[in-house]
Order: sequence, then C-alpha cells, then structure tokens
Amino acid sequence: MARSLILIVVIVLVLGGLFFLLRPDTPAGAPRDRTFDVSIEDGEMSPAEISVSEGDSVTLRIATNEPIAFHIHGYDVEREIEPGQRAKLQLEADLTGRFEIEDHESETELGVLQVRPQG
Amino acid sequence: MNAQARRVAAAAVAFSLILADARPALAHGFGPTYDIPIPLWLYLYGAAAAVVLAFVPLALFSRKERDADAAYRYPRFDLFRVPLFRALLTSRLLTGGLRLLSVALFFVVVIAGLIGLQSGFNIAPTFVWVTWWVGLSFFTAFVGNLWPLVNPWTVIFDWVEGVVRRLSLRDGLELGQPYPETLGIWPAVGLYLVFVWTENVFSGSYVPRNIALFALAYTLMTLYGMAFFGKETWLRHGEAFSVYFGLLGKFAPTEVRVKDPSVCLGCDGCDDNAAGRCVNCYACFSHAAPEERELNLRPPAVGLALSEKVPPGGAAFVIVVLAGVTFDGLLETPLWLEIVRLTPVTQTLGVILLPLLFSGLYLGFVELSRMLGGGGEGGFGRFAAAYAFSLVPIAIAYQMAHYYTYLLIQGQMIFSLVSDPLGWGWNLFGTANFEPYYGIVGAGFVWYSQVGLIVAGHVIAVYLAHSISLRLLRDPGRAFRSQLPLLVLMVLYTITSLWILAQPIVK
Repeated sequence: MARSLILIVVIVLVLGGLFFLLRPDTPAGAPRDRTFDVSIEDGEMSPAEISVSEGDSVTLRIATNEPIAFHIHGYDVEREIEPGQRAKLQLEADLTGRFEIEDHESETELGVLQVRPQG
Repeated sequence: MNAQARRVAAAAVAFSLILADARPALAHGFGPTYDIPIPLWLYLYGAAAAVVLAFVPLALFSRKERDADAAYRYPRFDLFRVPLFRALLTSRLLTGGLRLLSVALFFVVVIAGLIGLQSGFNIAPTFVWVTWWVGLSFFTAFVGNLWPLVNPWTVIFDWVEGVVRRLSLRDGLELGQPYPETLGIWPAVGLYLVFVWTENVFSGSYVPRNIALFALAYTLMTLYGMAFFGKETWLRHGEAFSVYFGLLGKFAPTEVRVKDPSVCLGCDGCDDNAAGRCVNCYACFSHAAPEERELNLRPPAVGLALSEKVPPGGAAFVIVVLAGVTFDGLLETPLWLEIVRLTPVTQTLGVILLPLLFSGLYLGFVELSRMLGGGGEGGFGRFAAAYAFSLVPIAIAYQMAHYYTYLLIQGQMIFSLVSDPLGWGWNLFGTANFEPYYGIVGAGFVWYSQVGLIVAGHVIAVYLAHSISLRLLRDPGRAFRSQLPLLVLMVLYTITSLWILAQPIVK
C-alpha cells in the first residue's frame, strides 16, 4: 500500500515537473492592436494565413482585384468589397481556433484566420 | 434576426458543404475543423506521459493472482432494482417511442437525400456523419449501447415479420440457412472497411443523394442477410454497425445481463453459458423474462476484459476500427499528402494497407509478448484474439479527441436542419434560423483535453492488456514480462495519435 502511494506521488511529481519544464513561458498577455494588409488577387489571399493571439484587436485592410464578399467563418463577419477600394474590417479576436476566410461571391476559400489561445 | 444575418448563416452552411464537395483531396464526410494543431511541447509532453504512465498499472496491479472468474467480479449496480428506473426504462412508451423515432429519422434521411436540396441545406449529411456516426459512437462508449434497440433495420424487420405473422402468410421471415461458423464476423469486417472507404475516400460521401442510395442498398442487404441466416445471426456476424456499436458498448459504463443461464443455451454470442456470464448479449437479453434481466452500472472498460468468445475476424474488426480512425486523421497530415500524392487509388490503397500494417505490428508484438511470457495454452491464435479488445480504448480516445469539437460545433447544425430537413425553406419547429455558437470550447482547452483523452485511453489500454495477460497466463511474474512488448505497441499507437493531432493542417 505504502509502495503504491509512493509510486503515485513520484509519478505526479515527475509529470507535474515535466509539464512546467516544457510549457513555454507565456508571452506578455496584454492584448495588442494588430493590423494586416491583405490583398486578394484572383481568389488568392496573401498572406494566406492571418495568425493572431486571443484578445488582440485585429484590423484587416483588404484590397482586391475583383468584387468579393469577404467572410470570416465563426466570427460571421462579412464585407462586400469592390476592386480599387481598400476596405477596413475590424474584429476583436475573442474566439480561439482556426477559422476559414471565404469569398461568398464565388464560394471559394481565400485563407485562414488562426487565433491562438493565451497561455 | 435580420435578413443579412440569415443570409450569412445560410451561406455558411452551404459553404461548408460546398467545400466538402469541391475538395476531392479532403474527401471525408466531414466539414471544416476549427481546431489548431497541438503545439510541439504539448505533443512531447503527452508522449512522455504515455511512456511514464504505461508502467503504472503494471506496478500497481501486478501482484494479484487471477482466476478465470476474476474479470467478472467488478462492482455493479442494477438500475432495474430502483422501481422508478425500472418503470421508466422498461416502459413501452420509451422503448417503442425510440424505435419509432429511429425509423422515422431513417426515412427522413432517405427522403431528404433523394428529393431534398442537393447542395446546401439538407439534413442527410449532417445527421448521418455528425449526429449518428460521431454522436451515437460517443453515446455508446460513454453511456451505453442503444443500437440493438433502435437499429432501424431490425425495427423494420420486426414490423414486417409481425405483419407476415398476423396475415398468417408464413411463420416469420427467417429462412434459417446455416451460417458458416468459420466465416465468423469477416462479413462485418469487410462491410466496415467499405464504410471507412466511403467516409474517407469517396468524394461524394457528403452528397445527400449518395447517402440515401447507400442507405437503401445497405438496407436491402441487411434485410436479406437477416432473412437468410436469421436475424440474430446476421446482426452478430454481418451487420457492421451492430458489431461496431457492440464493441464500443463493451467499453460503456452500463451493461445488460441475463441472470438465468438457461436463456443462453444455444446462443453463440455469450461466453460459455455459465450463470451470470451473459453480459452484453442483446439476443439473450431480448428473449429473457423481465425478472431475469439486469441493466447494470459498472466501471467503464471492464467489459473489454471479459473472457468472451472471440469469433473469427474479431481481432481483425478491432484493428480495422483503430486503423480507420487513425486513417481519417492521417489523410490530413503533410506527410501523407507529400508522400502519397492523393489520388483515389492511393487513398484506397491506404484504406487497405493501413489495417494490414496495424495488424502486422499487432501480431508481431503479441507473438513477442507470448514468447516473453513463456508461451501458454491455446497458442498464438488465442493470444491474438484475446488482446485485441485492449486496443479499443485507444481507438475511442483518438476518435473522441479528433471529433468532439466537431460534434459540439457542426453538431449544432442539426437544430436548424430538423426544421427544414429538405432545404425547401420550411420552418417546422421554428429553429430553421438557429446559428451555431462557436465559442463553446476555447482552443487551449481543446489542446489539453485532446492530449488528456489520448493518454487516458492509453493507460486504460495498458491496464486491460495486463488483466487479460493475468487471465491467460495465470502467473503474475510471467504476465509482467509478457506486457513489456505490448507496452511498446501501445506507446507506438498512442504517439502516432498525438503526432497526427500535432500536424499542421494542410489544404
């Protein structure tokens, strides 16, 4: 019985210690303002992946060479954008995960918004 | 809700379906995932935890001698002893209602598939792939096996048989052809492989009409099988989903049990017809008198350690299930995409080769284990059959880790679809405009829970393999030695599962 108890304590200590050893120091958790210039040409978005952290205030400045309906899945924001204009789209990154960005005019996938969790 | 929001919601649904349709490379029946791959450090941590924790069951439980009945001695509580539960769970209203609902849903899916909107709002893909396939799998593993009750094919069969009897056309539908015993459950293995192929390779698996046609073809085959060989015989050997849910049901924290051994005479589904050993045999349960039935709560996973008869193909079925869930994740990894260059042919080869690879590994490590344990009565075949069930928790844990967010988010679609199953703009229950809520679980929680689930499944698997070895070898020392190769095998499977979850998502 005592042997089992010692074993359990040792394992909890080893795994607990390993967890704190491996877990990276979390970067300063303060939300940041992030601005991205996004250009879409013939259904190709660059950058193809927009990566932010949870809580960030994200501003996308979007230019396109054809009319699109810019839609971010999950956040359910949609903006119709004409060529020649630079549309501004703002959102608070409060949902974590990987969200597809689509053009609802042509029903094609443009890219991805990835919101990484804090900590 | 304003018109704009409705349009966006409808378009989001349509889009996820179109995506599934437009990308043959990612052909499997599921829509987009919202999960971020687990970070490298957490993957390494999970792998390390799997290795360290693998020794815990061995260290804690290695001294106990086991006799043949040991696996059957676990705490259990008969829910039927509580009058309220007994009245509720055995009421015709509940059981009959569930069966009626199941058949109704089956016909709704088939009708929606045949005449409903083909691209966009249609209940068939979401119900079949999310609610039924993922949802009922989880329910079976974590609550209990309802499939023998609600299986629409048995309900239809029973109904038709009832009508035939009433009209005194024939004495039942069964032709009673003898089933070749050596075939075992190989028909179910084959059909399950076809299902895995449909899910992962067939590019039209999300198209409502295909779902309806597949369902109808499978219905004909199942009804014919039940009539030709007998209902119970076909359900146990050839109906792939009965075998699959039966396997998950062995993991479940509930069981059905028959007290009177005479009920089990001539049943090849139970152990050896000894008293109190008829566990999770639904055929006996349905024949038994009400006072002979038990519906027990029990510790999870103990059903997998029982010394039940394993029919020919039993181990193969477990391997195919494990390889099937792994294949689903593997398809999306950069490694697979780069090496295999996705074409329907290479993917189909993958569906066949991966179970073969898994079987080869499994059989090799079992043979090593048998040699280290000093052999044992019954030979290699007995060992290979007996250890297979210990892999089930690994498969369940991986499937859960892989799909639970999917069920939580895509699964919400069913609320709007029940109001408009055909996509014809109906609003039967007033829920047609229901929008899924995406924030149920954060990505950080998803990471930890995925790793936690996989490591937990692994520890249960190691525990089961160890108790199976104590049963087979009857000697703690030999059982301990025999487990070392199996530990390596389990760690391999588990690290593969973690590795897949850590892979970047590729398009």
